[in-house]
Amino acid sequence: MSTTVDPYAAVDQGGRFLSRINPLAKLLAPIPVMIALVFVRDLGTPLAFLAVAYLLLLLGSRIATRTLILLGVALPLAVVILGLGMAFWTDPTAVTDRTPALSLGAWSLTWGAIGAGFATSLRLAAIVALAFIGGLTTSGSDLVRASVQHLRVPYRVGYTALAAFRFVPRFGYELDIIRQAHRVRGAGGGRGPIAAVRRWSGYLVPLLAGAIRHAERVALAMDARAFGAFPERTERHLVPWRAHDTVFVLLFWIVSVVIFVLLHPWTL
Amino acid sequence: MRRLPADGKIVTSADSGFIREPLTAADGAALVEAVDVAITWDAAGAPTPAGASLTIRPGEVVLLLGPSGSGKSTLTLALNGLIPHSIPASVSGSLRTAGHDVRASTVADLARHVAMVFQDPDSQLVTGTLLDEVAFGPENLCLPAEEVLRRAEAALRRVGLWERRTDNPDRLSGGGRQRLAIACALAMGSPLLVLDEPTANLDPAGIEDVYAALRDVVAAGDRAVLLVEHNLDAAMDLIDRVVVLDRDGHTAYDGSVDEVIRGHADDLHRMGVWLPVASLAALQLRGAGHALTPLPVTPDELRHALESEQDPPGTSVPSPTPRSEVGQDPVVTVRGLALTRRGAPILHDIDLTVHRGEFVALVGANGAGKTSLLQAIAGILPTRKGMVSLGGLDPFRADARATTARIGFVFQNPEHQFIAQSVREELAHGLRRQKLPDAQVRARTDEILERFGLRDKADVHPFLLSGGQKRRLSVGTALVAGSEILALDEPTFGQDRARAEELLSLLRDLEADGTTIIVVTHDMQLVTDYAHRTVVLDDGRIVADGPTDEVFGRVDVLRRAGLRPPPLQRALADLDGLPSLSGRARLADLPGGQR
Amino acid sequence: MVTRRPLLSTRVLLVCAAIGVATGIVGGIAGLLTTAILAVVPILYGVLLGVHVLPGIIAQEVLQLPFVALATHVLAALVSSAFAIGFAPQFLGTALLFGGIQELVAAIVRYRSWAPWRFFVSAIVIGIVVAVAVFFAANLAKLAPWAQIVYLVLAVLGPVLWTAIGLGIGRSLRRAGVARPRR
Ligand SMILES: Nc1ncnc2c1ncn2[C@@H]1O[C@H](COP(=O)(O)OP(=O)(O)OP(=O)(O)O)[C@@H](O)[C@H]1O
Ligand SMILES: Nc1ncnc2c1ncn2[C@@H]1O[C@H](COP(=O)(O)OP(=O)(O)OP(=O)(O)O)[C@@H](O)[C@H]1O
Ligand SMILES: [Mg+2]
Ligand SMILES: [Mg+2]
Repeated sequence: MSTTVDPYAAVDQGGRFLSRINPLAKLLAPIPVMIALVFVRDLGTPLAFLAVAYLLLLLGSRIATRTLILLGVALPLAVVILGLGMAFWTDPTAVTDRTPALSLGAWSLTWGAIGAGFATSLRLAAIVALAFIGGLTTSGSDLVRASVQHLRVPYRVGYTALAAFRFVPRFGYELDIIRQAHRVRGAGGGRGPIAAVRRWSGYLVPLLAGAIRHAERVALAMDARAFGAFPERTERHLVPWRAHDTVFVLLFWIVSVVIFVLLHPWTL
Repeated sequence: MRRLPADGKIVTSADSGFIREPLTAADGAALVEAVDVAITWDAAGAPTPAGASLTIRPGEVVLLLGPSGSGKSTLTLALNGLIPHSIPASVSGSLRTAGHDVRASTVADLARHVAMVFQDPDSQLVTGTLLDEVAFGPENLCLPAEEVLRRAEAALRRVGLWERRTDNPDRLSGGGRQRLAIACALAMGSPLLVLDEPTANLDPAGIEDVYAALRDVVAAGDRAVLLVEHNLDAAMDLIDRVVVLDRDGHTAYDGSVDEVIRGHADDLHRMGVWLPVASLAALQLRGAGHALTPLPVTPDELRHALESEQDPPGTSVPSPTPRSEVGQDPVVTVRGLALTRRGAPILHDIDLTVHRGEFVALVGANGAGKTSLLQAIAGILPTRKGMVSLGGLDPFRADARATTARIGFVFQNPEHQFIAQSVREELAHGLRRQKLPDAQVRARTDEILERFGLRDKADVHPFLLSGGQKRRLSVGTALVAGSEILALDEPTFGQDRARAEELLSLLRDLEADGTTIIVVTHDMQLVTDYAHRTVVLDDGRIVADGPTDEVFGRVDVLRRAGLRPPPLQRALADLDGLPSLSGRARLADLPGGQR
Repeated sequence: MVTRRPLLSTRVLLVCAAIGVATGIVGGIAGLLTTAILAVVPILYGVLLGVHVLPGIIAQEVLQLPFVALATHVLAALVSSAFAIGFAPQFLGTALLFGGIQELVAAIVRYRSWAPWRFFVSAIVIGIVVAVAVFFAANLAKLAPWAQIVYLVLAVLGPVLWTAIGLGIGRSLRRAGVARPRR
C-alpha cells in the first residue's frame, strides 16, 4: 500500500519557513478552526480558509510533485465529486433557492441543493487542507518525537510507534501473500459485501496472528536493549518549541478570528 | 574500564554522572554461572531445559548445541532476565549473570552485561537510520549524547557499516541488517554477546558477511560470545568451547571442541545434535575403514586429513549414484517469461522446461526473483499468454480448480495458507472443492493424515501444531487435490536441519511416486543431496541450469550469483591424495553411506 | 535502580501497535472508500465508519487488560499519521474518541467483565456520538427525512456490526492459540 513512503525520512523543505516550525505548532494551530468549521454552513468561510491553507503551503514549503498533485488535482476533484453527490442527496424542499439547474423529467437538481452540497464539500476540503499545513511539512518521526518532548506522551509509547512504522509495509506485504495463498486454496469465494466481509475476516486471523508474534519478538529485542530502563532516556534529536512557534500559533489564531468576524457565518 | 580499540579511539564503559555504575564481576570471575537451571513455560508441564549447567568466562567463545526443543533458545532468554521478567516462564536452579541472580535483577540492569542478537533481523529494528538504531540501546541507558555517539561510531565501524550510518536499515541486505544487530549489541557495552541462530534467515553471502563481522569481534578479544547455531560449518573455527544439552535439556557435555566434538561425535550424532558436514562425512568414511583421527570438523581439516590418507584396502568406492531416469515428458514449459512488479522489472527472458518426475532446485541470492518465478509457474502472478504452460494449461488463465489439480503451491510460511479450524478440515477443504462425495473425502483425508504423521492431530487447530507439523500439513493440503507438480517456496526456512531432512525425505518419497518437484531454497548442501537439477537465478535471469553436480562445478558462476558451494564440495574438490573421492559433493556418494 | 513495573509492558505495547496497524490496513482500505461513499451514498457512511472500532475491540478481546483499547487506537493513529500525515488531527481525534469510549466502558466495570454485552454497550455509545458528529460535519440535516433516519440507524448499527466482527476475529485468534500476554 504505502511502500513508497518512508515515514522516518526527514522532510526536505529546502529551508522554507514551515519546515522550521515545530510540528505540534503546525498541527495544533488550525485545530480550533477545524472544529469551528464543522458548524459553519456558508460557502465563503470554507473558501477563505482553503485560501489560507493553500497560501501557507505554497509560500512556506517546497512544492514537491506529490504536493502539487494533492493540492492541484486530488483535493479539487474531491470537492467537485463530493459537492455534486451531496447536492443530489439534498432534500429539494429543504433549500430556499429552488430554481432548477438541471431537470430530468419530474426530478430536478436545484441551485439551492448545489449550493448546499458544495458548502459541505468545501467545508470538508478546508478541514483537510488545514491539516495539510503541518502534514505535508513534517516527518512521522518528528511528530512522534515532538509529542514525546512537549505533550507528555510517554516515550515508551512514542518509541513503540516508531518501531511500528515498520509494521505497515511488512503487514501490507503479508496481507498480499495471505490473499494469494487463500486464493490458491480456493477460500472465500462469492460476491457481495457479506462474502467480502467473510473473506476479509479470513485474512485477518492469520495476519493478526503473524503480526502479534512479530510484535512480541520486537518487544523482546527492545527489552534486551534496556528499553524503558529509566523514566527518561537520552534524546539526541531535539524538536524544540521556540518563540517563533508561539508567534506562528498566535498569528494563525488572530487571522482566523478576523476571518470569522469579517464573514460572520453564524447569525446568532 | 574496557577498551574498544576501534580506529584508535578509546571508549570507556558505562559511566556517567547520573546512572549507577553496573556491578561488574571481579576480574576473571564468570560472566554467566548456571547451575542446574530449569525453565518452565507457563503453559507447559515439563521444564525445558530441565537442568542446564554452564559457565562463561570473559573472552570465551562458547557454542551451545542440543537437539531441537532442548531449550537452547529458552536458556539464552533467561541470561539477561527476559525470562522471567518479560516472558511468562519461571526459572529454578541457580542462574547468575555477572554475579547477579537474574530473578532479582531487572532486564535493564542485566542488559549492561549481556547483549543479544536474535534470529530475525527485521524484528530487531526500531528507528529510521543505522546510527539511531545503534544509539537506541545506549540512549535507553541514559548515557550522555557524546558517549552515545562515541559508542555508536565504534560499533558501526567494527561491523563495517559506518559509511552507511544515515541509511534506513531497510536498505541493507539481510546479512547487513544482521551485522547491524551485532553492532547494536556491541554498543550496549556488555562483555557478553549472545547470538541465537543469527544466520538462519540469510542467503550464503549474507551468512559469510555475518561471520566475517563476528570473527572481527572475537579477534578483538574483549567480548565473550555464546553462540547457538545449527549451521556449524560456518562457526567451527571461532569456537573455544562447546556445551551440549541433551533432549530434555540437561548439560550432557561441556569442554573444548576437541573433547566434545572430536571425542563424542558418535554420541552427539545419535542424540540428534547436528554436526559439521565435514564431521558427518568423516564419520561415514570411518565406517568405510578410513582412520581420520582426530575427527575433522571443518572442510579444510577434512581435506587435509584425506590428502594424507589412502583408499583403505578391500573397500571399493561406490560410483556416484546415478540419478533416477527422468522422462522426456515436459510438464512445465516457460518461454520468454518477463515479469514486472510495481513497475520494476523482476524477471527477464526466462526459458525453462521441467520434465515429469524431476526434482529441481531454484537457487539464488535474496531478491534474485526465485519466489516470483515459482509463483508465475503456479499461476499466482499474472503472466502474458503463452509464457507459461503446464502441459498445455495456462495456469494463470485457467480455472483455479484446474490449476490446483495440476500444480500444488506451498508458501514459505505455512500459516499464511491455512483457512480452516482443524487439521482434518484443512485437508478436506481441497477435496470438497472438487465436489467429491463425503465418503471419498473422508477416506482420502485419512490417508493423507496417516502418510504425513498427523493422525493424532486431526482435530487440532492448524496454528497449534509445531513448526515441522505445520510444514507437513501445508504440503499435505497442496497434494490432496492430486497435483502432479509440487512447488515449494523455502520449505526449510526457519526449521532446524532435523525437520528439514524429514521434509526432504518425504519429498523424495513423493518424487519416487512420480511427482515433479520444484523447490526454492538457500540450503546448498540440501540441494546437492536431493535435487537432480539446479537452476541458478541472478538478478532475474537464469545464469545456470543443469544437473546439480555440473552447476555446482561452476564455482565462479555461483559466487557471482551470491551463492557458495556446499561444504562437502569445498572439502573434496580436486583431492589429489584420494582421486576416487575427488569432486564428490553428496554424503550419499561417499563410501560408508547407507542411504 | 528502582524496579518500576510500567503500566503496560513493552510486549503489550507492541502487541497493541501490531493490532492497530493490522486492523489499520483494513481501515485504510475503508478510508479510501470514504470519499466515494460520501459522494454516492452518504447515508451508508456510518456503516463504513464503524470499521474503526476494530482495533480496540480486538485488543480488548485478545489481551483483556486495562488501557489496551486506548493504547491500540493511539498507536494506530500515530502510525497512520506517519504515512498519511495530512490527516494526523483526524486520526488522532478518531482514536481518542473511539478508544476513549471503549476504555471508559471497560473502566466502568472496573476491567472485571469482558463479556460481549460490554463491548456492545461501547459500540452503541460510539454509534450515537459518531452519528451526531457526522450529522453536523456533513450537514445531513439537509437530507430528506427518510434518509436522515436511515442514516442514523445505520450509523448506530455500523459500530455494533463491526464490534460483532471484531469479537469473532478475537475469538478465532484465541482458538488459534495466539498468546494472551499477562501484562
Ligand atoms: N513461546 C513459547 N510458549 C510456550 N512454550 C514455548 C515457547 N517457546 C518455546 N517453548 C517450548 O520450550 C521448549 C524449548 O524450546 P526452545 O525454543 O528453547 O528450543 P531450542 O533448543 O531453541 O530448539 P530449536 O533448536 O528448535 O531452536 C519447547 O518444548 C517449546 O515447546
Ligand atoms: N509484491 C511485490 N511488489 C513489488 N516488488 C516485489 C514484490 N515482491 C517481490 N518484489 C521484488 O521482486 C524482486 C524479486 O523478489 P522475489 O521475492 O522473487 O525474490 P527471491 O529470490 O524469492 O528472494 P528471497 O530469497 O529474499 O525470498 C525483489 O527485488 C523484490 O523486492
Ligand atoms: Mg531455538
Ligand atoms: Mg523468496
